[in-house]
Amino acid sequence: MSLPLTVKGLCKAYPGFTLDNVSFSLAPGHVTGFIGRNGAGKSTTLKALLNLVHPAAGEVRFFGLDPAREEYAVKQRIGFAGSAARFYPKKTVGELAAVTAGFYESWDEAAFRRCLDRFALDPAKKLEQLSEGMRVKLDLTVALSHHAELLILDEPTSGLDPVSRDELLELFLALRDEGVTLLFSTHIITDLEKCADDILYLQKGRLLFAGAMEDFAAAYLLYEGPVTEEQRRAAVGHARSRRGESLLLRREDAGSFPAEGLREPGLEEIMTHLEKEAETP
Amino acid sequence: MKLLKKELRLALSPLTPFFLLFSFMTLIPGYPILVGSFFICLGIFYSFQSAREAGDILYTALLPIPKGDVVRGKLRLTLLFQLAGFGLMLLLTALRLTVLRGGVYAAVPMLPANGTYLAFALLIFLCFNVLFVGGFFRTAYALGRPFIVFTVAAFLLVGIAEVLHHVPGLAFLAAVEGPGLLLQLPLLAAAALAYALGTALAGRRAIRRFEALDL
Repeated sequence: MSLPLTVKGLCKAYPGFTLDNVSFSLAPGHVTGFIGRNGAGKSTTLKALLNLVHPAAGEVRFFGLDPAREEYAVKQRIGFAGSAARFYPKKTVGELAAVTAGFYESWDEAAFRRCLDRFALDPAKKLEQLSEGMRVKLDLTVALSHHAELLILDEPTSGLDPVSRDELLELFLALRDEGVTLLFSTHIITDLEKCADDILYLQKGRLLFAGAMEDFAAAYLLYEGPVTEEQRRAAVGHARSRRGESLLLRREDAGSFPAEGLREPGLEEIMTHLEKEAETP
Repeated sequence: MKLLKKELRLALSPLTPFFLLFSFMTLIPGYPILVGSFFICLGIFYSFQSAREAGDILYTALLPIPKGDVVRGKLRLTLLFQLAGFGLMLLLTALRLTVLRGGVYAAVPMLPANGTYLAFALLIFLCFNVLFVGGFFRTAYALGRPFIVFTVAAFLLVGIAEVLHHVPGLAFLAAVEGPGLLLQLPLLAAAALAYALGTALAGRRAIRRFEALDL
């Protein structure tokens, strides 16, 4: 069976930014968190996948299909949601769905009604009256009503309060349990801890890590305490901490550090250390 | 058909059908009635504007259709209202040339409603399709500049139409009866051909431009 998505050597250059040779694949039925700072290239990558921007190089395959050649077949099987997209504010949920339904050969009106109930969406409500979270749920409703097998979500939790965010993340887990594959970008690390099986970590247009979340976390140790210049050079990231200085170390490089100063870092600590290091000239 | 349905139900500004009423300028005596064609295009412009504000271009591009269909949908909406406006102008012109002949319409110095008028109306519509629609899809965002370019071209055409029939030998362009009226028919046919071919070419160019765009 073909993977939901494989990407090889994706490149795109803008003035002042380059998406550099990004390659990854998504496992079916997994939730993959796509992380990186604002401006790291997450949205550009997602847009390139969706054929909205033209990559300079690279190969994208959805379910083994080339989206440039088989756009219709690919788009029938995927769904997209983005917090930045605010479509048709004066139209109602029902009007948008009625028009959108005509474009999908597998549109399932019963599934649409079930999703409206499940997400407490009122078809008579205007889109401008929906909260950020409800907008994402509407996008999910549309995607699930045409039985999308892969959902691509661009910062779906951005702008949500903690309770709504948690609710949405639980929904992702429920969809995963139903066999849907999800790829969602975020810069909120707690989102990943809640529901991601795998992560893609993009830094300044380059993919630093692609794989299981546990493997990412297990690759590092954090050292806190007084450090020498030599120890600092062995670290892949450093930051100031309450106890002086903290160093992010690859697990295999931590042997020479005092054991009492070492501990497992959280994802947020890994990311902040790596990002600070990347900023250091 | 589903593209046009999407345009009408999601992207259409209520001003667009309302501005079809400017077709009735055809009935105003002693007035540069060709500006009615400009106003019909202005009405269509409002649908482009409201569609842009509603994120319509991106939404449509995400639907399971070829990217070029975003342009095709907009062109179909444009053609629908231009042809509806033209149909009204054609009927009202026929009314002026028959039932309403004479009276306030007799011996006016401006271009009357006749074959020349209809031909120039089609040329103004063609200008809109080439300059505005084609210009808009360079960016799929910037509306102002292409509309200003179209406005200048449209008013130049209105001016040319109003001047031409005063040029010696071209008085037949303002004829409302007799052989002069028949002489206008080739002009109208040529304008219709130019409209059809020009719009088709402008559409193809707009699709090429849009497909090359990063959204």
